[in-house]
Amino acid sequence: MHDTLIPAGLDAVFDVPMVTRVEGEGSLRLRVRNGVVEEARLAIFEAPRYFEKLVVGRTPDEVIDIVARICGICPIAYQMSAVHAFEDLFGVEIDPEVRRLRRLLYCGEWIESHALHVYLLHLPDFLGYPSAVELARDHRPAVEQALLLKRTGNRLVKLLGGRPIHPISVRVGGFSRVPRRSELEALRPELEAAVAQARATLDLVTTLPVPEYEREPRLVSLRHPTEYPFNDGRIVSNDGIDLRPSDWREAFHEEHHEGSNALHARTADGGVYLLGPAARVALAGEQLHSLAAEALRATGLVAHIRRNPYWSIAARAIELIGATAEALDIVDGYRPPAAPAVPWTPRPGVAAWATEAPRGLLFHRYEVDERGRIAAAQIVPPTSQNQGAIEADLVSFAPHVLDLPHDQATIRLEQLIRSYDPCISCATHFLDLSIERR
Amino acid sequence: MVSAPVATVDPTEPIGFLPRPELDRLIEALQADGRRVIGPTIADGAVVYDEIASQADLPAGWRADQAPGRYRLEHRGGVRLFDYVVGPTAWKRFTFPPRVPITVGHRDGGAVTFTAAERPATPLAFLGVRGCELAALGIQDTVLMAGPAVDSDYAAQRAEVLIVAVECVTAASTCFCTSMGTGPEVRSGFDLALTELDDGFIVRVGSPAGADLATRLSLAPVEPERRAEATAAVAATRRSIGDPVDTDGLPARLLANLDNPHWAEVAERCLACANCTLVCPTCFCTSVGQRSDLDGQESVAERAWDSCFTAGFARVAGGNFRPRTQDRYRQWLTHKFATWWDQFGSSGCVGCGRCITWCPVGIDVRAELYAIAGSRSGARAAAIAIQPPPTPTPVGPPVDPATMPHPPALATAPAVAAAPKAPTSPVRACIARVVSTRPESPDTTTLVLTDVDPAIVAGLPGQFVMAALPAFSAAPISISRYRPDGIELTIRAAGPATAAITQLGRGDQLQLRGPMGRGWPVEAAYGHDVAIVTGGIGLAPLRPLIDAILAERERFGDVRLYYGARTWHDQLYGDELDTWAGRPDLEVALTVDRAGPEWFGRVGIVTHLFDRATWDGSNTVAYVCGPERMMQATVETLGDRWVAQDRIWVTLERHMECGVGLCGHCQMGRYFVCRDGPVFNVAALEGIFGREGI
Amino acid sequence: MIERVSPVRRAREAGSSIRPRLGVVKFASCDGCQLTLLDLEDEFLALTERFEIVEFAEATTNRSDGPYDVLLVEGSISTPEQAEEIVRLRRQTPLLVTIGACATAGGIQALRNWGDETDFRAAVYAHPEYIESLAFATPISDHVAVDAELRGCPIDPGQLVELLTSLIVGRRPQLPDESVCLECKRRNAVCVAVAGGFACLGPVTRTGCGALCPAYGRGCYGCFGPREQANARGLARHLQVVEGRAPADVGRLFAGFTAYSEPFRSMVTELGGVAAPGVAPGGGPARESHDA
Repeated sequence: MHDTLIPAGLDAVFDVPMVTRVEGEGSLRLRVRNGVVEEARLAIFEAPRYFEKLVVGRTPDEVIDIVARICGICPIAYQMSAVHAFEDLFGVEIDPEVRRLRRLLYCGEWIESHALHVYLLHLPDFLGYPSAVELARDHRPAVEQALLLKRTGNRLVKLLGGRPIHPISVRVGGFSRVPRRSELEALRPELEAAVAQARATLDLVTTLPVPEYEREPRLVSLRHPTEYPFNDGRIVSNDGIDLRPSDWREAFHEEHHEGSNALHARTADGGVYLLGPAARVALAGEQLHSLAAEALRATGLVAHIRRNPYWSIAARAIELIGATAEALDIVDGYRPPAAPAVPWTPRPGVAAWATEAPRGLLFHRYEVDERGRIAAAQIVPPTSQNQGAIEADLVSFAPHVLDLPHDQATIRLEQLIRSYDPCISCATHFLDLSIERR
Repeated sequence: MVSAPVATVDPTEPIGFLPRPELDRLIEALQADGRRVIGPTIADGAVVYDEIASQADLPAGWRADQAPGRYRLEHRGGVRLFDYVVGPTAWKRFTFPPRVPITVGHRDGGAVTFTAAERPATPLAFLGVRGCELAALGIQDTVLMAGPAVDSDYAAQRAEVLIVAVECVTAASTCFCTSMGTGPEVRSGFDLALTELDDGFIVRVGSPAGADLATRLSLAPVEPERRAEATAAVAATRRSIGDPVDTDGLPARLLANLDNPHWAEVAERCLACANCTLVCPTCFCTSVGQRSDLDGQESVAERAWDSCFTAGFARVAGGNFRPRTQDRYRQWLTHKFATWWDQFGSSGCVGCGRCITWCPVGIDVRAELYAIAGSRSGARAAAIAIQPPPTPTPVGPPVDPATMPHPPALATAPAVAAAPKAPTSPVRACIARVVSTRPESPDTTTLVLTDVDPAIVAGLPGQFVMAALPAFSAAPISISRYRPDGIELTIRAAGPATAAITQLGRGDQLQLRGPMGRGWPVEAAYGHDVAIVTGGIGLAPLRPLIDAILAERERFGDVRLYYGARTWHDQLYGDELDTWAGRPDLEVALTVDRAGPEWFGRVGIVTHLFDRATWDGSNTVAYVCGPERMMQATVETLGDRWVAQDRIWVTLERHMECGVGLCGHCQMGRYFVCRDGPVFNVAALEGIFGREGI
Repeated sequence: MIERVSPVRRAREAGSSIRPRLGVVKFASCDGCQLTLLDLEDEFLALTERFEIVEFAEATTNRSDGPYDVLLVEGSISTPEQAEEIVRLRRQTPLLVTIGACATAGGIQALRNWGDETDFRAAVYAHPEYIESLAFATPISDHVAVDAELRGCPIDPGQLVELLTSLIVGRRPQLPDESVCLECKRRNAVCVAVAGGFACLGPVTRTGCGALCPAYGRGCYGCFGPREQANARGLARHLQVVEGRAPADVGRLFAGFTAYSEPFRSMVTELGGVAAPGVAPGGGPARESHDA
């Protein structure tokens, strides 16, 4: 950790226009007084779309279609949290093959999302490029590899869901259509190649120059006894939280802060916490696919991933290996279910569930009325849960960059923010950096 | 392969009985001949034609309950394979596929090449073709192979299809093959025909190929009881259908009701979704799209099923000939049941009922025909459940042409004074090269072309070519002059495709296909006075006519040219106009809509140039070209000058894609404007020219 | 509409080394349509060779306020700042292309146009006074002239490539305005409405997705928006009168991602497709319809 101190008495305002290479629109203002960073305020100015209100009065299947539109990068996560919440309330037992297909669908989304983030959004920072387009001029094979991985993820989603963005086949009880065995087998060569590409990704990121910055955050994720968490598992933290996936509200709540269009989540005691690949690797690492677990061991980065947010890029690479390898396993073992979906009837009550989006735990809660329609909804995206931790990290990290030229300070801070892979449209709820020095 | 029955083979006479388990022998024999066997299968809740491996793939025990807008498959159990009647797919999916590449275009700088896309024919066997479907195949054979232009890929594929027909022994409530004369009996047009009984099939042979197949099957003799059972079952099917549509005089009755208010009522229900036309086994309309690389260097022209119901089907640069749903519904119904006769010598409908079942709002064409065209007998057709419109509008009684004061003779092509010149040679394609270009007006350019196929250079005044560049849609352009070594095209940049052509320079290439259409009949004016009336770019297709008249000037009486343009700058061929105006044997009168400082001549619409003239038009032949409204006004004004309608020739513009009468876009009433026109005698257009929404 | 010689083509011909300047901006949306551009796989790098991407916040830190030869706009206008920004952006480009249902139709968030925005805000945010947003979520065309649009939620990658290709080549973009039904029948999908009893908006919805939903065994929900001359009223009448669906259920069918476009908009209003706060849509009892 650098011990660069800001000259005493320095008061300043840092204003950086919208942070780029994140999903959505937000700004950051740092306030510095007497050389001490007092506050880092993330202001989400992504325009609100009020999804929790839009789903009122709709049926569960309509909700699944609607909530996908919260995010273009992780629509499946929203569909999964919703569909499992309803199935939990209605007592729907889905076919085990359908459950595997849902995991396969999530594998596809993780592959696409992580490949997008690692290569197109985050990697340029480490190598000093403004974007992947310029990166491609000097490192074309790397970018092509990224595009191939992304394509593989998209093709998986497209086969199961109809299209890679805002899939159409997820229904309460299963899917509107399930693939034929031959259709999945046709993806096999691509998936095999994807495992190798994921490994190459890990090799690449372990060679990157990573800024030194460490802390011990509170981490939260799902954990399941036998599988790496996607659709199921208990909500756990590294300091004792352990809940059913529908019981998120017992340990967390949301607050609305001035200057932001996003609701911030906090633990019951008002503390911040971190979700996402680093949290999952730390808390659920034992359930990683054997290929991914082995690769993680070989890097020796387990502790670094937990403590240094910049190393999240390696956590994503690990999860890429896991997702591609598991996808291959599922494809190899696939037998079409007896029916694409099972019949169901709605019940009134509270439908709540959490699943692991690429960016972290995503919680949905719906109140369902006697007619099977939504009466109220609460949707807590991972980025709004991460916001507090991101701000805290920015406050503690900012001193190291304040003496740099403004451009460079911006780059470093944006690179830090990108480490959390924020999905701002989801949070509504990224980044204009302004540092107020007073 | 369908061929005429050999003298020794009687397709109506059973030759044997095929026990049910032996059906696989037939399938195997077809496969052994290298054919992919296509038959009915169950998929996604319907019977869909797809490749089968054995009779285990066939829909044993399945039936379909059909009604307007409703189709429900039911498994009744049992062994019968063919009781499902018809499903949404038609056999045309295999003979006339939904999407086919037709040419590959390549552009490199100014050089272009076009090559036909490779589409080898696949040997197929169709198992389960019903009477209505046989008739539909025959109708598409006529449409696509019997006209002046032949779809050669269709012909090649069709020749590789072996047909195993089945006679219907059940019917759906939507069937009306009986009224259309296509079933349920199957009498000809097949290689083998099967009539299904519980324990097997009565077999008939319809061709040498069928006879050959039959020798490879172990057929039992046909017992009289079995034969009677089959006959009775088919007869019972016929009775169950009845005769829902009165086809007696139907074409005339329909065409007498083009202004029936019921068309507007249907249009309130009709979604113009095009489902009816895409499930129809005889519909053949297509459109061509371009699939190109990012730079437009390599482009595949792809032909896809289209429908006259789409809003843009009859759209041209200046407007849309069928802008309303009711126009398009009327086009569909009158084409299918009336003008198809004029074009192809039969009805276009085979009574399969698919359009009734697969209409999402359940419009029943049998009921609509009755509502619009009534019935000769006056009695309402039996037992059709007509869905009442929710807000019934009062509909007058349908018009029976027999009661009209001057019933137009529309079922047959009217006699004309002199038929337009038929094309003298088949259509050829070539890569022409630009020799020079000449701007005529701000948006119009003349290209002088060489390397033109001799057949095009030998074309007639009034004919046109389809001009194409890779990655752009082809455009119909009238030939505006014939030269010893090529042709001229005068093109207005009305959209991106024509703009791209006007931007070509010396040495650049483009593809021409032609010559197309019927040209101006010059001989019709021998010994007569001539009036040529035109506006704007309309002078371009008339210029070769003027050239031809001036080349034999002595054979004509007075020759008058009346030409109107928007402004002086929009006049074409300025220097030639001066030369023509200077000739003592040619009267040239010009006008513009809007004068500018350089214009000292007449101002006003072109009809004003002769509406108060003193010449007697009773010995005049007139040639007219311009916007449709201008042509209508001109015909009227010429009439006031005693020019008879059967001595007036117009050239019409419609949306064209193929130029040879196969894509369906340019239809106007019974005519294909590309093939029967674009030059028409006005008397032949009675009832159509000037009518809205045709 | 796009000029005869597109400004893109003109920019290219002006100097072969000069690439037309492409901008991609976003208003209130999910990012899915921009992502479609990044997801173009084989074509993405090829496109970056033909266009200079000067503004695309999700993909590059290079920024530009304009001018642009082509500007792709995603998202609906939902705040006063956005309403001003779109006017400024219109002046920066000769070719403004809206991409996606949010930009072309207002998106799913336009459903709040039927309600009271303050109720919406209060329902979601504990301190609604902190949020500055408009009472309406509106399509871009309500604010400025639009030169071309790509429909869809999200847009179709093939149509995106076709649009960009047409700009390079100078041809009219082939974006057919016909019903989804044509594509269903071409690809041999069995009609889910006629054979399956699903409520399907396909006959009144513009094609572009490749008839995705019917091919996957469910009804079309209109995410490409109403097609030209869509007879929504006729379909709505059939669904109610013949199929016996409740008016509110039919209204909800139209109350989707392109609800704010006519004629879907009128259907939503007349049939009560949107819930008022605390009130069930359309009022009164409604039938269960799992396939709606």
